[in-house]
Amino acid sequence: SEEAGTDDGAGAADDGTSDDGAATESQETYNWQFVTEEVQGQVQYEYAAEFADLINEKSDGQINIDVFEFGALGSEVDQVEQLQNGIVEFAIISPGFTGGMVAEGQVFALQFLFPDDQEVTQEILNTSEALHTHLSGMYEAHNIKPLAYFTEGAMQWTGSNELRTPADFEGFKMRVQESPLIMRSYEAYGADPSPLSWSELYTSLDRGVVDGQENPIFFIEDASFHEVQDHMTISNHNNYVAMSTVNPDFYNGLPDDIRALIDETVEEMQPRVFEMQAEMNEELLDSIINNTDNPTEVIELTEEEREAFRELALPVRDFFRDEVVGDEGREMLELLEEEIAAHE
Amino acid sequence: MIATMLTIMIVLLLLGFPMMIPMMAAAIVVVIFFMPNIDPMFLVQQMMEGISSYVLLAVPLFIFAADIMSTGKTSKRLLDFVGAFIGHLRGGYAITTAAACTLFGSISGSTQATVVAIGTPMRKRLLSVGYKDSSAIALIINASDIALLIPPSIGMIIYALAAPRVSVGDLFIAGIGPGLLIFAMFAIYSFIHAKIFNIPLAPKYSWKERWKVTVKALFPLGFPAIIVGGIYFGIFSPTEAAGISVLYALILELLIFRTIKIPDVPKIALSTGLVTSAVFILVAAGQAFSWLISYARIPQMLTETVLGSDPTALQVLLIVAIFFFIGCMFVDPIVVILILTPIFYPAAMAAGVDPIHLGIVITFQAALGSATPPFGVDIFTASAVFNKSYLDVIKGTPPYIVMLLIASVLIILFEEISLFLL
Amino acid sequence: MNFIRTLDKWLVKIEEQILSYSIILIAIMVVGNVISRAVIGSSWAFHQEVSRFAVTVATFMGISYAARKGRHISMSAFYDMAPFPIRKALAIIIPAITALILFTLSVFAYEYFMSLVASGRVTTAMQVPVYLFAMFVPIGFVLGGIQFLRNMWVNIKEKEVYLAQEKKDYS
Ligand code: NA
Ligand code: NA
Repeated sequence: SEEAGTDDGAGAADDGTSDDGAATESQETYNWQFVTEEVQGQVQYEYAAEFADLINEKSDGQINIDVFEFGALGSEVDQVEQLQNGIVEFAIISPGFTGGMVAEGQVFALQFLFPDDQEVTQEILNTSEALHTHLSGMYEAHNIKPLAYFTEGAMQWTGSNELRTPADFEGFKMRVQESPLIMRSYEAYGADPSPLSWSELYTSLDRGVVDGQENPIFFIEDASFHEVQDHMTISNHNNYVAMSTVNPDFYNGLPDDIRALIDETVEEMQPRVFEMQAEMNEELLDSIINNTDNPTEVIELTEEEREAFRELALPVRDFFRDEVVGDEGREMLELLEEEIAAHE
Repeated sequence: MIATMLTIMIVLLLLGFPMMIPMMAAAIVVVIFFMPNIDPMFLVQQMMEGISSYVLLAVPLFIFAADIMSTGKTSKRLLDFVGAFIGHLRGGYAITTAAACTLFGSISGSTQATVVAIGTPMRKRLLSVGYKDSSAIALIINASDIALLIPPSIGMIIYALAAPRVSVGDLFIAGIGPGLLIFAMFAIYSFIHAKIFNIPLAPKYSWKERWKVTVKALFPLGFPAIIVGGIYFGIFSPTEAAGISVLYALILELLIFRTIKIPDVPKIALSTGLVTSAVFILVAAGQAFSWLISYARIPQMLTETVLGSDPTALQVLLIVAIFFFIGCMFVDPIVVILILTPIFYPAAMAAGVDPIHLGIVITFQAALGSATPPFGVDIFTASAVFNKSYLDVIKGTPPYIVMLLIASVLIILFEEISLFLL
Repeated sequence: MNFIRTLDKWLVKIEEQILSYSIILIAIMVVGNVISRAVIGSSWAFHQEVSRFAVTVATFMGISYAARKGRHISMSAFYDMAPFPIRKALAIIIPAITALILFTLSVFAYEYFMSLVASGRVTTAMQVPVYLFAMFVPIGFVLGGIQFLRNMWVNIKEKEVYLAQEKKDYS
């Protein structure tokens, strides 16, 4: 990463054909790696693929970006470490997977924090000082530079029974990720949160080891969870937020014009990815509703029904403030809450 | 770079180095001399990653349970029970082994766990009735393959995620045909093999004797009942079932049969730990190796070269079969499926391959690769668990490889074998 | 020499305890979580992390123990067929190079461990430093390397071929 932009990583793979790494100085070509947490056809991968195409086009083929799907370079946490080390230049990271390092990133796991309206939420993600100054600064201290925040869609519940009121969560075994904050959120509704490995989730839902799970629609459809769940609730209880990030040493070492090119492309991608996830989630929601082989009852929470959950979710913010983060994080949340209030 | 890597691996492998060394030596040399921008500490990150999958926990737990039961009485009584009903039939034990592997595999979803849990007791019995060790082990590792084809298959769940818009439920149904096909081939082979080698038949039990053996086996029979029932009724997941089998084995042997005492438990666990380490260090090395290959985008380079432009459906499927077969010789099938599926999927769809059919071919080849020499996690597992040399483990495999290759050709050529139930 | 022998005895004991209790710990975690979830309806948030820790410890701390017992898996076809002088030479060269590779890996593992110390990252469920998980990896590689050196030494010292310090080649 110290000699940013030389024909490194992928170039090494080509060494069989070219004699020498000493490229001609004038027409420098760049080979970068961009790793994502998702696979083809899912939001993060499609973002990265389109980003790579745009950059390649704008640079007249001078910049080539290889996009990696989830699985190729290890776990999500492995990928973060590889970004920090500069082995990959770009990565899309879900703040949830960095919770052990930047605890403040778990703010996106707070339920019913952002507005119901997705467009307003994305607007806040684009402009929020709390995120772009405070949170991004905390990531930069760990050698991760967030370039943009975007939603991959609202999170929804699926269950073996209908989930409409907090009473429906009584004794409900909810599969969650291993995070104490998320566990606390479902305990607040009266559920029994169960951390369970993703690879066993389909079978466990089918057999009733757990009763339900949360994910954005596109992921639910892709992993076929709707096949083994009878009910789905459009709860929009929070958003699956991801960040496109870059290794800061690499980024700062780039020539100004190249850096400007990246910034410009990141900017252009924001409306694109919003549209992309909206289309994907809409289309796949239809496909879940129209799947007659595996019927799934889909309901949408009304405003009053959401209010009941919002009330129970509010004290979880105290847990976030008191147990998860320190002063900096409290300030960040306070500012973010103000920004959100200003949009409502 | 690829040439250097392959040379190091093959030479060190043939010289008889411990198997993690060919992989790790190749990886270290490649990182140091060909990939200066990669910090070699990431090889260690990936080794740790390789063994961190929750599903892998089933392996040491089933080894532990099997060790406890074979120290005590459980596994003998279970086998006496089986023997009382099928011992007098030609190839009965071998067919039962194949059936048990298929059934158990469908529960555990892991070929390695099946090798351990069914292989450990059944191998002893096969030996005692006159089978050669090499045929017994070959049967066990190959019959365990079927596990990946019968639902709930972890391989299929992973494929469904990597392949857009594929239903896990459809894949599960589609795996049944090929699974039964292979089981039928193995059963017929077992019958013929027993005839040719004149495996002696046990005397037929009277119903009175059968009743006696059944009564003795009542507690041990609770073992499969609890595992199957527990998963079926959603009390625990397949990996958790491995833990429950340890608990049940301990209850039987410690409290009911009183064949072992508390201080024996750590001793048994030590032998489990030894076997686990020997296998898992290879899983770890395989992950580091596959990470390097993925980072260098070697699979993409190779597929572009071999697929060319506009391949036919058959060409794509054959190439898919070869790539997955080779990939799974080195690395855990789950990782291979996750890495390779997206590379082939678009080409396969363009050539008009049915996505479910593709999934079955991929899952099957992944299973096949893990039971085939030179690298194959099932072989490593068998070698470690049975404490047999590598060569002893693979000696008996050729007939099975031939059968599985035939099955593989049939499954590729006739998509109906997979799709007829849908 | 006596000191080394005593040290070695202790080392085996420790390795055995670590291997054995790692496996027992995994069993306790998985079973405990099932029972807790089924009976009181609450899962153990930490069971996956503790299991992962135990698997890592067992795998890497087991390198040396498996080397001592000659239980590492290898493809020995050529080795078994080779005439005695070649087999004897291989019995010295193979553990020597294996030790070299393991020592190299221990350096990388130490660097990785230090990078985790520097990052200060903690695990999600238990909020303990992640470097605890990686701590045993360099130790395991070093102990494994030392054991392979001893496997080499036994072949230099003795006339027969030893597959491992505690395992003579029967052929
Ligand atoms: Na899918
Ligand atoms: Na459904």
